[in-house]
Amino acid sequence: MLICGTVPIKDFPLTPGEVKTKRESLIINDLEIPCTQGTAALISAALATTEHLNVPPPQALIVGDNGEGKGSRLLYEYLIKNISELSPAVLVLHYCLPVIGLMKRLCESIEKCSKKPIMIADASSMYVAKAAGLATKFDIFTPDSCEMAFLADPDATHPAYISRHLFDTDITQAAELVTDAYRNKSAARLLLIKGAIDYVVKDGKILDTIVEPDIPELEAIGGTGDTITGMVSAFTYAELELHEAAIIAARANRMAGKYAQATPATRIPEIISQLPTVFEEYLCEWSGVCMV
Amino acid sequence: MFFKKKKKAHFHGEGLFLFEKVEDAIKAEKVLKSADYMVKLVAPPPTLRKGCDLAVEINLVEQIGIERLFKQKDVDYIEVVPLKGGGELLEVVKVTDFGEAIMVKAGNMKLTFDKNTGIILNASGGGCPDIPYLHAELLDKKLTDAPRPKEIGFTLCALMMDRAFIECLDLWKETKGKQDDAYLWNSSDKGLPADAGRG
Repeated sequence: MLICGTVPIKDFPLTPGEVKTKRESLIINDLEIPCTQGTAALISAALATTEHLNVPPPQALIVGDNGEGKGSRLLYEYLIKNISELSPAVLVLHYCLPVIGLMKRLCESIEKCSKKPIMIADASSMYVAKAAGLATKFDIFTPDSCEMAFLADPDATHPAYISRHLFDTDITQAAELVTDAYRNKSAARLLLIKGAIDYVVKDGKILDTIVEPDIPELEAIGGTGDTITGMVSAFTYAELELHEAAIIAARANRMAGKYAQATPATRIPEIISQLPTVFEEYLCEWSGVCMV
Repeated sequence: MFFKKKKKAHFHGEGLFLFEKVEDAIKAEKVLKSADYMVKLVAPPPTLRKGCDLAVEINLVEQIGIERLFKQKDVDYIEVVPLKGGGELLEVVKVTDFGEAIMVKAGNMKLTFDKNTGIILNASGGGCPDIPYLHAELLDKKLTDAPRPKEIGFTLCALMMDRAFIECLDLWKETKGKQDDAYLWNSSDKGLPADAGRG
């Protein structure tokens, strides 16, 4: 599994390698990254999952970018050049400046892989995949309710420009947004819609919804969407079916919020630190994956 | 003999800066290219045309970084418009009251502050690379002391966070005003001077 994204440290060099945890930080090639909202939170949740499942830890491709885009462009170019050689089983694309032309070139390069990776996108990588008309090349998107409205809007190239009536759509009406997104070919094969109700959608059909435990404060905590994507990626890498991976990730995230006694002031490492306990207690029951 | 035509790199920017005068458009392109932005001089489609016949196509997500650069370099422009859709930025915000804290959602961004202190507790949502950076810059700061996201961010996500920030600031001032009024009312009830406790 290869996880690609940016970290908010401007001069952090483009760094490929295996990631490890060190207290609340990540270590990649001896460089330290704080576990904050964004790709670092995604990697941390993926690592917690792979450690529990006793499968190899994720490889990561990380670069510093504070929004100016220079790091993101380096990351795209590296992937375009090397992806067929790297040929990961699961490719996760995350925080990165959305550049349509570069995403198109990357998808062309991915076609050259000996075996097409399972492709997962969240955050701006999901935005650009949709804007470039490449959503159907992806296996999993993990939008929140606003991002779901963005996927349903045929014209928007960023959630800031979605139609107001779509932004106003209540999460209980997600089915309409799902129908529009699939009709416009703006959705991945599987969607995990994150919100007060989590929806797991495959090929346009809602397979399951997750509502318990109900922890509304999770929405305020930066990184709770990233941790879901990290877990989905790791469970997929461990060869669970895509929809099973999504359902378990959504449940585990909510349960970790409950265990952390989440408030609007809770920080994402506090949620991630609960994942091993959640997996220990519930994973066997939820998935049939029982560690002995 | 056949000559192979060199394949041109296509640029898909999805946004246009419109200008009153051609020289402004040319200056804009020069300024942006020297700052390493990917841009292209184009003729605006008739439906979007305002001012002159030349526009600069940009990667729309980089809108606010470019606007800030134009301000620094004195580049005049009329407006920035998306190439698709209605062209209106999302203005509406949604507010959630958690009791001790308030969360404001603007587009894909959410900002949460403590009702009693005005301190920013959390920022979530979004997907552009400046969001984790803004997250680090804003958290644990008072709304009145924190930098404006649009002054230090570069992307449309930062612009949405700025919308949420402004709404939070307004709500905080409103809440603070009510708290001060309640304090003054209680103070006068207890025979304390009306301005007791004001800094």
